[in-house]
Parts: sequence; C-alpha cells; structure tokens
Amino acid sequence: MKRVTIDPITRLEGHGRIEIFLDDAGAVENCYFQIPELRGFEKFCEGRPAEEVPQIVSRICGV
Amino acid sequence: MSKLKLASYWAAACGGCDVAILDINEKILDLAEVADIVFWPVALDFKYADVEAYADGYIDVCLFNGAIRNSEGEHVAKLLRQKSKVLVAFGSCAIWGGIPGLANFKRRDDILNRVYIESDSTQNPERIYPQTKYRVPEGELELPEFYKDVKCLADVVDVDYFMPGCPPTAAQIWAVIQVIASGNLPPKGAFIGCSNKTLCDECEREKTGKKVKKFYRPYEIIVDPKKCLLEQGLTCMGPVTRAGCGNQCTSANQPCRGCYGPVDGVIDQGAKYISALASVVDAGTPEEADRIISGIVDPAGTFYRYGLPGSLLRRAK
Ligand code: SF4
Ligand code: SF4
Repeated sequence: MKRVTIDPITRLEGHGRIEIFLDDAGAVENCYFQIPELRGFEKFCEGRPAEEVPQIVSRICGV
Repeated sequence: MSKLKLASYWAAACGGCDVAILDINEKILDLAEVADIVFWPVALDFKYADVEAYADGYIDVCLFNGAIRNSEGEHVAKLLRQKSKVLVAFGSCAIWGGIPGLANFKRRDDILNRVYIESDSTQNPERIYPQTKYRVPEGELELPEFYKDVKCLADVVDVDYFMPGCPPTAAQIWAVIQVIASGNLPPKGAFIGCSNKTLCDECEREKTGKKVKKFYRPYEIIVDPKKCLLEQGLTCMGPVTRAGCGNQCTSANQPCRGCYGPVDGVIDQGAKYISALASVVDAGTPEEADRIISGIVDPAGTFYRYGLPGSLLRRAK
C-alpha cells in the first residue's frame, strides 16, 4: 500500500495534514485529515472578563 | 547580488502575523524584487519536506511567529533554526507566548477535557482524546505531543532578533524588511521594529498626575477621549509597554493590554505594572489600597495577557 502525505496543508489559517493511502492499483483506499494544532481557547477564556473576550478570541484566527 | 531568501512560519499562532506581512500591500512587489520566499505556509505551497531538503543556512532570514505549544512546533523551530542564517521571533506569541500563552493559567488535562469532552458543541461519549500514535487499518497515524506548558521560541532554539506586537504593524514590518535587505542588522538579541520608549512616552492623552480611587471596567464609565486612561481608572498597560504600535488601542479609547511587551531591561511586565499601579493608587491606608486594587478584575490575566510563558511566573501553579 502506498502512502501520500501532504504536510502541511497550505494557504489557509492553521495547521493541517492529509494522509492518503493508495491501493495496489493506485486508487485511493482511504484518506485521513489531521489537525495537529490545539491552543485551548475553550479553556483559557474561562476567568477572563467578558469585555476582554472579543480581543482574545480575535486571535483564534487572524486571517 | 543574489536575492535574499526569506521564510515565514507559524507555530501556535492565529495567522495575524502573516496577514500583517501581507498588509504592506503593494510593497510586497518591492519585497519580491529583493527576496525570494522559500517557505510561507499561509501564502505559498512549500512543504516541510522542501525545507528539510534545503542546505543548512540556505534561508537568509526566517520570521517565526507563534508560540511553541506542541512537539511539532518545537521540531519545526529546530528545523528552521538549522536552515536559517537569521531567525527572528516575530510577534508576541513567539517572543513571550502571546494569547495562546494564556493556556499556562490552566492545566493541560483540564484544557483537553474542556475541548474534547465538556464543550457544548462536542459529542464524544467514548471520551476519545487525540493520541500521538493511532493505528488505522492502513497503517499508523501520528499527532504531535501537546505539551504541559506553552513555551517561547527562545526556550527551544537560539533566536537572533525579537520583533514584538500582536501583530507587529505593517509599517514596522516594512521598515524591518528594508533593514534586512540593506544588511545593516543591529547586534544579535536586539528588539527590532519598535522603540525603547514606553507607550506612555508616545501617548498624546493628557496626564495630570491624578491618582485613582477606584478601578473601572471600560463599560462602567464614559471614557474621556483626551485624558489618560489610567488616570480615569482603567488598567492601561502603557506605563510598562514598549512603544511601536502607534498607540493603536489608546487612540481608539481602549486601554493598552501590553502586546508589545516590556522595554529593554524589564524582565517581567506584569510585576512592573503592579509597581506602576502602586504609584497611582490614592489610598490613605493599606486597607484602602487593598480595596482599590481588588477592584481590578482578573489582574493576572490582564497584566500577563500576552506574556505569561515568557514572564518570571511562566505558568500558574
Ligand atoms: S497610561 Fe495609557 S492612556 Fe495613560 S498616558 Fe499611558 S498609554 Fe496613554
Ligand atoms: S496599544 Fe498596547 S495592546 Fe494595543 S496594539 Fe499597542 S501595544 Fe498592543
């Protein structure tokens, strides 16, 4: 089985990788999309004053 | 003269630093006159394998933005260090951890639990967390290790220059590109694309030396657009923040949150701010000072908004 790795995925915000597995005839057997990055805004926004949150979450994606 | 070879990379970042580079607008064409970009995931389709194939030192200048959150960030930082003659920690995340560095107020397991189990938009009854290695029928998949702490770029590799800002402004970026193209770089370790004055030094708001009896949240008062925000009781970080952004927040009636970090010689912006606050509080007794200071909501998250991993604290316990 042949494996094609696309790493990183480009021209988008964030981190992504695609793993493609080909069968012996060269057709796609299966394909996995992976997101290697995590920052955890869901957690670290807890405890921050509500009025500060728009400025913090604008850094989820600056693109 | 052969063209400069430039690279830009993001680790734990938002892409805002990369877009700030694009914000030089049509000057990007002037940049293309003097430089070839050999790696820039937001804009160009180079792969890690391309970078691995470059000779050591092939890249003249690499602008590295983003904090080091996981083993992939550290791995790519080491790869780009090896391949670059000059490595710039670009933006506040790379220098001090930035907004992603707020994660150092939380525990790793609590972050993973919140994101993958508890969040309202998640359905994960089998409680599956990301695994660094995972077997699928076709083979093995890998993900980077999510570190216990957010780190700064200089924690994992040797850094030549530091360019602060969340993000650095386009004008400063253009100025720095011109310096890079001229080859007249400052001594190693310098902060570039900024001033060594404080934001207060460049602020046009009127300061009268008025002391503060009470701290407010911005929505609790009508802000006077001409007067110092700190003297109006807002926790403006101007006294301990490096100038260079053009006073963007204070010009918009918003207190500075310190994204340009401290000036040279100050190792802990938050601690410095606590001492700055002490001199503006109008209290007759220690109890009154306590009462006034305790009116500040989330002091640690405010004073270390952009720099917890790079501070003396590094993380909450
Ligand atoms: S504290 Fe803020 S508003 Fe006041 S002078 Fe300094 S930067 Fe300006
Ligand atoms: S005013 Fe402060 S927080 Fe706002 S951009 Fe400037 S340095 Fe950053």
